Amino acid sequence: METSYFSRPIPLRFIILLALAIHGPLLALQLPLTNSYDANFHVFFASHYAHHWFDPWNPKWFAGFSQTTYPPLAHQWIALLSYVFGLHWAFLLVQLIAVLLTPYSVYKFARIWVDERAASYASLFSVFAGALVFLVYSAGQLPTTLSAPLYLLALPYFYDWSRSADGKALIKGVIFTLAAAGVHHVTLIFGSVLFALPVLWLAVIDRGERSSVAVVIRGAIMAGIAAAGVGIVLLPYWIAIIKHPIEQMPIPHASRSNLILNITYLTNYFFVPYGMLVIALPFILWYGSAVRRLRPLMLGFWVTLIFGLGGTTPIPRLVFRRAFEILTFERFTLWAVMMALPIVGYIAVKLIDNYKRRAAIGLACAALITLVLPMVWIAISPFSANADLNVDPVDSFLNRDGHDRYRYLTLGFGNSLPKVSTYTDANSVDGEYNSARLLPEFTHYGTAQLTSAKYFGTAGMDALRMMLRHAAHYGLKYIFVHDPYYEPLVSFAGWRQVESYNNGSITVWSREDIPPARPVPSDAMPTALEGLLWGTLPLASSILAILFAFLIPDQARVRTEDVVVPFPAPTPEGALVREAR
Amino acid sequence: MKRGLPILLGVVTVILIVIAWFQSGGAEAHELQAATTPDQAVRLMLSQVKAHNFDAAYARLANRDDVDKNAFIREFDGSNGSLLTYASMESFDVWGLKTNEQDATVRAKLHYSTAVGPLDDIRDLKVQHTGDTWKVLWPVSKAPKLPPQVIPVNYLRWDVISRGASDDWGVQNVDSPQVRVVSMNAIQRPDSVVLVGEVVNEDSVPAYVNVGATLLDPSGAELAQESSFDKISHILLPKQVSPYRIDFPNMRMEKIKSVRMDTKALLVPASADPVIEVNQQKLETDALGKKVLSGQLLNQSGSVVNIPHVIAAFYDSNGKVIWVSDGYMAQALLPQIPLPFAVDLPPDVAKNVQTYRVVVNHYDSTSQS
Repeated sequence: METSYFSRPIPLRFIILLALAIHGPLLALQLPLTNSYDANFHVFFASHYAHHWFDPWNPKWFAGFSQTTYPPLAHQWIALLSYVFGLHWAFLLVQLIAVLLTPYSVYKFARIWVDERAASYASLFSVFAGALVFLVYSAGQLPTTLSAPLYLLALPYFYDWSRSADGKALIKGVIFTLAAAGVHHVTLIFGSVLFALPVLWLAVIDRGERSSVAVVIRGAIMAGIAAAGVGIVLLPYWIAIIKHPIEQMPIPHASRSNLILNITYLTNYFFVPYGMLVIALPFILWYGSAVRRLRPLMLGFWVTLIFGLGGTTPIPRLVFRRAFEILTFERFTLWAVMMALPIVGYIAVKLIDNYKRRAAIGLACAALITLVLPMVWIAISPFSANADLNVDPVDSFLNRDGHDRYRYLTLGFGNSLPKVSTYTDANSVDGEYNSARLLPEFTHYGTAQLTSAKYFGTAGMDALRMMLRHAAHYGLKYIFVHDPYYEPLVSFAGWRQVESYNNGSITVWSREDIPPARPVPSDAMPTALEGLLWGTLPLASSILAILFAFLIPDQARVRTEDVVVPFPAPTPEGALVREAR
Repeated sequence: MKRGLPILLGVVTVILIVIAWFQSGGAEAHELQAATTPDQAVRLMLSQVKAHNFDAAYARLANRDDVDKNAFIREFDGSNGSLLTYASMESFDVWGLKTNEQDATVRAKLHYSTAVGPLDDIRDLKVQHTGDTWKVLWPVSKAPKLPPQVIPVNYLRWDVISRGASDDWGVQNVDSPQVRVVSMNAIQRPDSVVLVGEVVNEDSVPAYVNVGATLLDPSGAELAQESSFDKISHILLPKQVSPYRIDFPNMRMEKIKSVRMDTKALLVPASADPVIEVNQQKLETDALGKKVLSGQLLNQSGSVVNIPHVIAAFYDSNGKVIWVSDGYMAQALLPQIPLPFAVDLPPDVAKNVQTYRVVVNHYDSTSQS
């Protein structure tokens, strides 16, 4: 019997505790809320659900927009938990759940490809994954980091159902897919396909005596049921995007650029998220090709890797066409890493079997470097989310003396804009969610938020000029400036400085000839029925997923003899030789 | 399969990266480094300026010994809080004007994104053949300097006492200053309808002024609503007149039955300082063949005007305003040092222009706080 620690799987319980030990304190420090780009945006969405659960029409941004343009589940869970913990801690709690789910789901996913020991290594490495750290603490992409593990949890059931027509697997797989889709749409539309195809291929390889056509048909049946379910659960989302497809001018994003032409972008989108996996890349391809069962996963990883490189290769633009200009590609890197981990776990087993302690120390160091690299990059990176700005005086101004009868605009607030919006009743013409914008002042120009207009050059400043020209129409009276760059335009356009805060770092500008804001009519406003569906079905799917996870045990898969898949293990002869030495 | 597949994927990856590198202009950028033509020399220097790699751009100058590096940087990055200090170069166009074996002249049109909108700067650059490469001969310009002196400030200033810090400005419980639109002319342009005219402050106190207009169709319904935005001098001293211009993009005159003008005026504090003199105005054709009104601004005060904004009204033989042009100056207006300006006007309008009048609006970073 093997007694060495190096030859046994690492207990999953230990790995999850390690994830808690590493990420718990980092989240307790509120790093995503003070450093990341999107965390405050998700808190803002959650805040709306906390106040208006069944009304997805949010008047606070873009003179009104529909939150049915973004799957609600992560935000609704934050909203629910916020009644007990407050918005910020509720966000951090949901993010922590996503982080803890990751090693668990990677283990479950890896088990369909590799043995228990390699899967446990894959799970362990996922705790240190640079892409995860990057997305949680720098990008603040809670839905991406929550939906990916939910999809990973669905995949073993997809494999079981496709391979052996296990009805329980069909139900659990579908319900996990619905929950994942309820969290994030991009992961649903693109990620699920990238993950599912290699798994289906594996099910065909592992079919044994069964017909490969039957395996594929079963896979298609589950995909069809899941698609129908997603169609119903996210019905208001589909209505919204069919009614208003994204036709605005493309907004530049660094992840779409050719990374090798800009060392900062290359670092941000390749070296930092992959970390030491960069060194492992040739070995992932090599070992992924060498083992027949790993080949589909390796090819899936390679395709996802290529997509994650954005404009560094012509493939993403060719495949996604118009969608290329809408997507951001850092999430593909997370998926690529998750696909690589089972192969990395397999390589780790080989290394540890051959080099024992030295390999373990080397792998531990590589994992630590991969974890620390994004944290260091957040500190030294030239990019700044500007998410930790003290906006309390701004909210205080807007919430007093009837100032909320007018709309407002922030300039130079970066990703602190949602913080302002969360805690004021006043409405803004600006906002952070590009896909929900319908005002022509935004859609006709290739710019994102007006608060960061200068970073989009002429397109950004033209959009800002156009919005200021139409200030009277929108009731845009107050402008908060946190970057003197914008002061000349605001001044020439007729606003006058009336107050300043934070030792002059924030100035308030006002134009007195602006009438109070009126509601801007929009055909994007969801109906009451859509609001009801939106407020019930996604949350219900997640509650069902939790119930099924506990009520329908997974052991059926491993207990059934014919489902167990023999996996190439280290040859006993080799071990005997080493023992003899 | 075992060995072939990873090698194949590696090769395909490299090929894809190389294809994208060519598509992204990587090859051209590499070729540019050699600067084997005058155009390439200018492009190389400007691309380095664009990337804020001023050391490398300065190294591309043929006459480095004669050009102060900081002055060279200020040419692009601005100084004294000028508009260029609120700008970044977005792109440039380069084309040769004349070339021989040893030197050449290349015209560069620099496109800046600035805090107030796009700004173009056209420069004719001399380029010299040195060794097997071309280098830019940067024009040596000595910035004029004034001797230390005292400039007395004795211009009028109006302060307004408000009720308290919590008051919004404009909530003053006093009558609004008397402001009147003295003329309005609607003009059909190829892509828009433009309203031009003048507004006067008839009061004895300064006024904040904004002119808005609503176009109405024959049924009295609103077609569009726009305002003068930055094409007006918003602060008018007593008896001061400002031109204004209101653009209605994608509008046709045939659709319009009437226009509802809306002039807002509020009492505001103001100062007559700085006084900016406009000299040597003349209509001419610039190097690109466009009709422009050019002249010189002279700041008579002792403080720097960071961003001067020129607004020019053009009149026909009947004294009617037929066009209003405006332009922001890239350089700051230093005390007592003339600064040339030029604002363009459409050629079909230019032939009807009899007279013109220029007012200068300005932004000073120090006066805002």
